[in-house]
Amino acid sequence: MHKESRSRYNAHLIKLIIALVVVGVGGYFAKQALSPDTMGQYGHYRGADIEDQKNIALKLGTNDSCFQCHQPIRTIHKDGVHKTVSCEVCHGSYGNHIGDNDEKIGTLPVKRGDEISQLCLRCHNKVIQARPREFIKMVGYPEHLEQMQVNPTHNCSQCHMVHDPLLWIRQAREMMRMPEGA
Amino acid sequence: MSVGVHHAEGVVSLANYVFPNDVHIHWSLMIVLYPYITGIVAGAFIVSSLYHVFGIRDLKPISRYSLIFALAFLCCATWPLLLHLGHPERAFSMFLTPNPTSAMAGFGYIYTAYLILLVHEILFIYRPTMVALWQQSKGIMRGIYAFLSFFNNNLSRESLELDHKIINFLAGIGIPMACVLHGYVGFIFGGIKANPLWATPLMPVIFLLSACVSGIAGIIFSYMLIKKFSGGTIDVACIRTSLKFLWGFFILDFVFEMLEVFTHYYMSTHHWHVLENLLWGPLYTTYWTLQVKVFSVIPFILLGILCLVKLKDRIILFFAPIVSLMILAQVLLMRWNVVIGGQLMSNSTRGQVFFTPEWAGREGIIAAIIVMTAPLVILFILSRIFPLWIHEEQPQET
Repeated sequence: MHKESRSRYNAHLIKLIIALVVVGVGGYFAKQALSPDTMGQYGHYRGADIEDQKNIALKLGTNDSCFQCHQPIRTIHKDGVHKTVSCEVCHGSYGNHIGDNDEKIGTLPVKRGDEISQLCLRCHNKVIQARPREFIKMVGYPEHLEQMQVNPTHNCSQCHMVHDPLLWIRQAREMMRMPEGA
Repeated sequence: MSVGVHHAEGVVSLANYVFPNDVHIHWSLMIVLYPYITGIVAGAFIVSSLYHVFGIRDLKPISRYSLIFALAFLCCATWPLLLHLGHPERAFSMFLTPNPTSAMAGFGYIYTAYLILLVHEILFIYRPTMVALWQQSKGIMRGIYAFLSFFNNNLSRESLELDHKIINFLAGIGIPMACVLHGYVGFIFGGIKANPLWATPLMPVIFLLSACVSGIAGIIFSYMLIKKFSGGTIDVACIRTSLKFLWGFFILDFVFEMLEVFTHYYMSTHHWHVLENLLWGPLYTTYWTLQVKVFSVIPFILLGILCLVKLKDRIILFFAPIVSLMILAQVLLMRWNVVIGGQLMSNSTRGQVFFTPEWAGREGIIAAIIVMTAPLVILFILSRIFPLWIHEEQPQET
């Protein structure tokens, strides 16, 4: 059926071995050429990545970053039950407000009206099952307004000072000479 | 209010106590398909080895087909992972900067080694066929066949003996590699100690056995389907022997699956209540009803009858594809129940979440259908180059 072949009986094996060696050697040089220069300098990562990370502009600050300028809020915020809440949770990231050279580059949004209630409910909506109720007040909305016998169209911020949510409640109680918990 | 209400609806659908970072199922349909496709590859390779290495003569008609079938699925085995992760080009980083401590990169190395081995085994087994087709064909195909026969048309006895030795060697290391390929997928899940459904040393064993089962079932079903539509004759002896192996592997697979649950139940560790709530809760339908009762017990009994009772060819040919399809469904359900099921419980051990697959999107149902269809398209393309059936060839068999 076949013509007598002029190839050696093992020619294909030799060709295959040569091809595999070429691919292997090529792969080795490709690895050398394509691997990042500083790979493995400190560990199993690109050493130069540390510099890259250092050069990324800061996006987030701490509460103390904000309090450097916003002094009156500092006093109120640090006394209230929201003292552990980061400013950025409600106001957005520090990096959108202050540039690399400490100059103001933008104004962060301040929520008003209905937006305030939406913001509060992100944390305080009682349907969020997993939140620990022992130390976070979870409420239904507008159920909470009905219980407190206030106008159902009220926003949270009409009764609660957002930086110290119980500040006005405490003051109102003092003015009315009501005992704690009444 | 709209944002608050929308968020509330999403959260209220959860039951009990779920950690806020456990709400979403991150490993979805694509990660179900990943072990499914890989398993089919390993199983199909084992079918071919039963003839090429263990000398089960009855399986000769499907010995080559199962290799090409395995290759077609192997080509797509990483697609689900690449779709899931995005940035497929980054997959090559594991060769540029190999990380010996990465379990997932380990799969990449095993996969690559296995792919190289399978391609070579196919080329050596097919060499006489490739040489014959090289001589007969013209144009581009002539070039392709010349390339695939390593530009050597020597088919002397000496040359074929050499090929035979190489084939035996490749098949010999191919079997452990096929086992490692899929056992390793089981290890990837079994090694996740934070998940009580996955973290068991039985996981590689169960994955490997279900791989064998799905591979054999896939071969039987597709072989009969192709023969039915292409008008060829189905080798009944081959089907009977395949069914025997399918039953044998399925006994082991099903028994180990049940033993695993029983072991969890008997040990009743502090995780058992989580697993119990899971298996009798959100997984009840897909696990007990579908995977165990419908798609395990029924094929189990059917296979037993098909293998033990002397039945007419007609009955075998009727039930073989049905039982194979059921087994394929069983393995897919098993992958679903392991991969999705394992993520339905919160790490709080006190809550469960629910999962409904989406239709569109990179990991949706449509993408899953495309990924599962792709190996069949590749199989069709490969069948244009490699004759799937031995009788279609001219030269002597290796």
